[in-house]
Amino acid sequence: MAAALAGSARLGGAIRGRTAVVAVGNSEQGTIPGISSDELAVEGLRITLAESGIDKAEIDGLITCKSYGGFGIDTEIGRLAGLNPAYSATLDYGTCNFSLHLACAVIDAGLASVVAIVYGTNQRSAGNKFSHPLGRQDEASVYGFLNVAGPAAMAFRRHQMLYGTTEADLAEISVSQRRYAVDNPLAIFRDPMTVDDYLAAPYLVAPLRRADLCMISDGAACMIVARADRAAELTEKPVHVMGIAQQTGLRDRQNADQWMRPWIQQVAERIYPAAGIDRDGIDALYIQDPTSIWVLQMLEYYGFVDPGGVGEAFRSGAIGHGGRLPLNTNGGQLSEAYMWGFLHLCEAVRQLRGDAGERQIDGLTTAQYCSTFGFMKAASTILSTEAP
Amino acid sequence: MTAESTSSEATFSETMFWDEAARGRLVFPRCADCAFLRWPAAGVCPECLGRGFAWEEVETTGTVWSYAVYHRAYAGHLKARIPYNVALVELDCGVRLLSTLVDVPEGTDPIGARVRARFQAVGEHPSVPVFIAEDS
Repeated sequence: MAAALAGSARLGGAIRGRTAVVAVGNSEQGTIPGISSDELAVEGLRITLAESGIDKAEIDGLITCKSYGGFGIDTEIGRLAGLNPAYSATLDYGTCNFSLHLACAVIDAGLASVVAIVYGTNQRSAGNKFSHPLGRQDEASVYGFLNVAGPAAMAFRRHQMLYGTTEADLAEISVSQRRYAVDNPLAIFRDPMTVDDYLAAPYLVAPLRRADLCMISDGAACMIVARADRAAELTEKPVHVMGIAQQTGLRDRQNADQWMRPWIQQVAERIYPAAGIDRDGIDALYIQDPTSIWVLQMLEYYGFVDPGGVGEAFRSGAIGHGGRLPLNTNGGQLSEAYMWGFLHLCEAVRQLRGDAGERQIDGLTTAQYCSTFGFMKAASTILSTEAP
Repeated sequence: MTAESTSSEATFSETMFWDEAARGRLVFPRCADCAFLRWPAAGVCPECLGRGFAWEEVETTGTVWSYAVYHRAYAGHLKARIPYNVALVELDCGVRLLSTLVDVPEGTDPIGARVRARFQAVGEHPSVPVFIAEDS
């Protein structure tokens, strides 16, 4: 049974250049005992305001993200942060692209003009084992189908069968990201790793290994998004939101090939027209990566590599560390920190502004971030230093 | 296919699935309005939004979509089982069911293999569906 995907009658370019990221910030990542998730979220806001020089009084919108344990609610964080914003909301899956897209919509609707997006979690200290079944069915617990590694491993096996992708091909993703992380003081995993190192490690959920899976961590991240005219007042280096796109696959396993997440393709078809920027115009690429399989899937759906060509794309220097298209220059979730994918956006903004320190890659104008909420939805954003 | 209503109760509990599996039968709730097989079980139909349904036995044959082999136990009760496999089987009736493959010949790739259900113990569960080669 093939469940239909909704089409779209949206207008291309609807939000192009109408909002901009004016600040990003984050706490240390890792194990941070003695502070609650919500306090960490406020800590992320404090750091971001301090580093950007933006006054807290400028904030008239607050978008938070629910965190492990049911925390992260806007009404609570607003109180802790001493904010009475004109608009506030919480997304259940708020980080990654989804909070940013809501901020853009809220600003475009005139509900707020300067929106702080905050996320904090102490799930590592609080003991989240990520061992709950991911499906809604009890089958998952009966058969032991726990952790995202299970469906990701199945998706990779299927991909191997269809396209001949090898484990050595898959290794290239984690190895490239580790190489970036070596130069990233924020990253949790910074020891150099070769393809041989990768292949020598045992399986966790075959055919996936430790290096194919991220580790949860404590930390906070924050991003401030403003209407274009306000952005120009708040920073000399606004990063313009050129295009956004989303698609869901909410019918879950009633969809064919659900764990290969074919509905990501719909976002790929929408994002470039939405931004008015072609795939060839992307200078740096960011892909959310709780597993390396997410990188594999999104590189293919967005058309950066042909199906089955991921290993060669890295080995030939087309993509990855030292390659023509930088990918996850912070090390991604696999090597830097989990943070529900928030840090990819922080890194993209820093790279575009020339604020990435030792990792700075010269000559970047545009960046794209591709992310998903597990097996439920996909989203992408294109950012640019140049206003339309 | 044997069509047999086993319940007219307004329940969408999956208990029926496991109870019938213990008796060696695969059953799913079939929509009374549009005949869609609802899985996960639900009191409303994701196709036509109707409410009525009856549990119905289906053929146990299908095709393996993919599988993964757990070498780590993500919960204490799974330690005794590692390594174990979990597979997604696309049943001929249209339902996609998680299960485990048994008696897979060494060195063969079960993806795309035709399989049928057998009912046996998995962990603490005395009789649940597992899948074996259709022609075995």
